[in-house]
Amino acid sequence: MLGIALKMLLGDRVKYLGLIFGIAFATLLMTQQVSIFVGLLTWGANPVLDVREAHVWAMDPRVRQADEGLAISDAELYRVRSVEGVEWAVPYFRGTTTVKTAEGRVNALTLIGVDNASLVGLPPENRAAAAEAIRGRNAMVLDETLVGRIWSDGRDPVGEIVEINDNRVTIAATTDALPTFAGLPVGYMKFTDAITITPPERNKLSFVLVHARDGVAPAELARRIEAQTGLKARTREDFARAGVNFIVTNTGIPASFGIAIGLGVVVAVVITALTLAMFIAENLKSFGALKAIGVTNGQILGMVLAQSLLVGITGFGLGIGGTAAFLAGAETDPNLDGFLLHWQVIVGALVAILSIVVASALLSVRRVLKLDAAVVFRG
Amino acid sequence: MTYAAVARQVVMEFANGEDRTRVLHGVDLALPLGRMSFLVGPSGSGKTTLLSILSGTLTPTGGEVEVMGERLDRMQPADLVRFRRRRIGFVFQQYNLLAALSAAENAAVPLIADGVAWGTAVRRAREVLARLGLAGHEHKLPRQLSGGQQQRVAIARALVHEPALVVCDEPTAALDAQSGRAVMDLLDAASDDASRAVLVVTHDDRIYRYADQIFAIEDGRLVDADASHLPHALPEHGTNAP
Ligand SMILES: Nc1ncnc2c1ncn2[C@@H]1O[C@H](COP(=O)(O)OP(=O)(O)O)[C@@H](O)[C@H]1O
Ligand SMILES: [Mg+2]
Repeated sequence: MLGIALKMLLGDRVKYLGLIFGIAFATLLMTQQVSIFVGLLTWGANPVLDVREAHVWAMDPRVRQADEGLAISDAELYRVRSVEGVEWAVPYFRGTTTVKTAEGRVNALTLIGVDNASLVGLPPENRAAAAEAIRGRNAMVLDETLVGRIWSDGRDPVGEIVEINDNRVTIAATTDALPTFAGLPVGYMKFTDAITITPPERNKLSFVLVHARDGVAPAELARRIEAQTGLKARTREDFARAGVNFIVTNTGIPASFGIAIGLGVVVAVVITALTLAMFIAENLKSFGALKAIGVTNGQILGMVLAQSLLVGITGFGLGIGGTAAFLAGAETDPNLDGFLLHWQVIVGALVAILSIVVASALLSVRRVLKLDAAVVFRG
Repeated sequence: MTYAAVARQVVMEFANGEDRTRVLHGVDLALPLGRMSFLVGPSGSGKTTLLSILSGTLTPTGGEVEVMGERLDRMQPADLVRFRRRRIGFVFQQYNLLAALSAAENAAVPLIADGVAWGTAVRRAREVLARLGLAGHEHKLPRQLSGGQQQRVAIARALVHEPALVVCDEPTAALDAQSGRAVMDLLDAASDDASRAVLVVTHDDRIYRYADQIFAIEDGRLVDADASHLPHALPEHGTNAP
């Protein structure tokens, strides 16, 4: 009977293609939007995740995420170092400033100051050359991803001299940092350089980065630091998640993506429910004849489920393919850097589409199941 | 004489809002094997209702229905469906072929529904189509066939599983005279099989001469099928007594 079901479906080319394209479009819309959304959220975690060596971040109690700079006194660094279980603790500067090129162009920049001795926080990409280069006076290692924002002509920035707050800074090397939500080019300097070229303030220490001694759990160490210093201390994972949550709770992004994803669901529901209902209504007489001939309700249910699963899976496959192609095509686009099609998104969309399709099928097949076989004899 | 189907005091009532409308008032009838029986009468007299009951698609509100020794009026719905699939062949006025299936596939539906493998079912359907003069048309879709050819495919579908009882509701009503005769010739041949009875419901008087026996029904009661009720001469052995 499944063969008959599939022939019936394929025989109605318009509805068949309509269903497949409707479902494909809905899948594309949903998975693409979810992937972009998830990608943007991971950007919120990246400033923290980019500092691979730090187990715990210590900061002013009012700071909620890495881009909120609220400096603490240098003395805090020593107080953190004295906490039991700390292997090492280093200073970390993170702030926003403005660069001016030799041509006079200006652009905002995320300036990071890493500990002079350990260079903790310098990305691993091109690490040896960057570590060598950053040691020069007022030397900067620049993240290559958004270099085009500063110089639009595609030039190699190494060797360029820029001005930051009237200080001459040499671009000495490039590196590749994880993309961030702020969307600014990122430059790395030694901590002492970074605090000298930024406007004078009483405190310049944004974060203390802590490495736990072997066998000490970061969560436990964070609790100890908070208890002993009065600072706020978060494990790497917790603080990364805080960056994600900050986007969720402080921007309209979840709402706008939610709307797009919801539209995908609505499109899927409307198209499949209506088309399947139409398909079944048009074939009601045929189903009636089949019932008279001796096809059971169970067989008819199987037929309709097979029909809907076929269009559901085909449409889903096309839609996922579309999203994968979109993300693959966007791989070199810095605005979509690091956006992936996670398996959870694929499974989630598959479950959503199949539930919609099966629910629509069950809804419209009820008419056939309730149909009296004797109606086939009536005009 | 042995009978494919016997109806005893069959009563059918339909709920009609608060009331109940009685459509069949205690009908007695028997369909002998190897014979073609006609059920004739004016529109609304209960022909289709009686045919539905005899074929197990409708359960009567009263009386007994026996087909090949089995009591349909007492059967569970699931058993009734299986019984229809194996023992009854159906021919409808509007053919009711599946538009997406070829002639052979349409004719194979009862076998496929009963679990026969697709290839075997279609091969047997092709043999039946050939016997019905449709060799060469097996791969055509219903819309590529004339009305008469479609009804012959429907007859193939009604015969492919070798049922004991074939019921036909107005099988020629949608056909021209020549196609109607071709269809009736095939049903006539099918009824020559001593293991089968054919019941034709019709008010097409052009085909009355094909009947081995005629039942006439009026307002839900069988009446004498004598010449006064029928516009044309009856075949010599026409009678409606079981
Ligand atoms: N499902 C039903 N519900 C209510 N009334 C019905 C139903 N089926 C048939 N009838 C009524 O039963 C009577 C006989 O109908 P039918 O058997 O179709 O007659 P015929 O086939 O001789 O034209 C008609 O009055 C019809 O309106
Ligand atoms: Mg009728």
